[in-house]
Amino acid sequence: MIATVVHTEELLSTVVAAVVAGIGVTFAFSVGIWGAGQFTELSRNERPVAAAAAGIVGALAMLLVAAALITGIFVMTHN
Amino acid sequence: MEAEIILWIVVATALAFDYTNGFHDTANVVATSISTGAARPQVAIAFAAILNFVGAFISISVAATIAKDVVDAEIITTTIVFAGLIGAIAWNLITWYFGLPSSSSHALIGGVVGSAVAAVGFDAVIADGVIGKVLIPAVIAPLLAFLVAAAAIGISYRVAGKQRPGIVTRGYRYGQIVSGGLLALAHGTNDAQKTMGVITLALIASGEIAPGSDPPFWVIFSAAAAIALGTYSGGWRIIKTTGTRIIKMDAAQGFSAQGAGAAVILASTHYGFPLSTTHVINGGVMGAGAGKRLSAVRWGVAGNIFMAWVLTLPAAAAIGGLTYGFTRLFGTGAVGPIVVTVIALAMIAVAFARRAQRGAPVTAAGG
Repeated sequence: MIATVVHTEELLSTVVAAVVAGIGVTFAFSVGIWGAGQFTELSRNERPVAAAAAGIVGALAMLLVAAALITGIFVMTHN
Repeated sequence: MEAEIILWIVVATALAFDYTNGFHDTANVVATSISTGAARPQVAIAFAAILNFVGAFISISVAATIAKDVVDAEIITTTIVFAGLIGAIAWNLITWYFGLPSSSSHALIGGVVGSAVAAVGFDAVIADGVIGKVLIPAVIAPLLAFLVAAAAIGISYRVAGKQRPGIVTRGYRYGQIVSGGLLALAHGTNDAQKTMGVITLALIASGEIAPGSDPPFWVIFSAAAAIALGTYSGGWRIIKTTGTRIIKMDAAQGFSAQGAGAAVILASTHYGFPLSTTHVINGGVMGAGAGKRLSAVRWGVAGNIFMAWVLTLPAAAAIGGLTYGFTRLFGTGAVGPIVVTVIALAMIAVAFARRAQRGAPVTAAGG
């Protein structure tokens, strides 16, 4: 009875999507902030290569955030 | 002619309900951004109103659930839909008056189910739909938002917590512009669709459109406009609610809470689950607080929200059922809905006047 009433597949997909989007985007955004912080800090300490590397990691993370958002909106609007 | 009058009363009542939903929920949607200093109130409110409007256009899955999976559209009448709406509005008004937490969404579904049961019996209710698409997601979604936000804030502190505070705060405040925008978009799409669903149900009941039809464009547009206007108007009486009542937040917590709330609402909307957006947002805020320190959360507020889960559906259903019975005292024509509308407007006016004398309540009510 319960198994037929519960929309298990849709509920599981909702949980997975929310976890991936909610935690994944926050993680990527935090890496972006970490990259910006490290870039500033290492530039001050005159370590340009390490600063550039941190900056690139941060920028890539922010790009990932943007890509995730665009993908999310695309999926929503193409139901 | 009388059927048309009832239909237009239902449409007007549904849009009024949508407006009050936006009005109720402004604080929940923007409080997090404002309380962390990510946005000025005027900017946050205008931004939220615009994104509420846009959000209403991105999906019709929830509208389809309301129109097809809650009650049997083929045996429902416009008077049943009307009585359900009045049940929801009355319950919202009662909880607003006494400062109790509520959920507009649960009230709406409860009201329609209650009036349908009073009119036709339990055969009118699609139990599988109510349990599987409304009740179970209603319990899971806020818990999911809580867990996602708690995990997200833990990750945020671990990854970015050792950077200079200035960069971290500024970064998450910028992030909150996006996460707050997504939350407003999510709120618009899930909540406005409930109104679309109810109007669609009334259009099916009156024979204007065929059973199984999607909402016409004018329904989508008017529901979007009503919730956006409500959100914009509600902002001018911003109250201390989600952002400050449950926990004191920093920008990273605000970002995590909004991100979790938006992710859960948007994912649920995609699968057609009508949620209480307020409960999900509050779940996210509590998770972001608990992820940092359990004692930071005001659990009393959480308890009130839990009570709202338990009470709203049956209470709105009871009022919806009673309203249907009262409406039928005047026959099957338009007189009953007109009398009930006049009484409802008078009660709203009295409630607002008395509240204005005593001061506005601080509530966690909303969608």
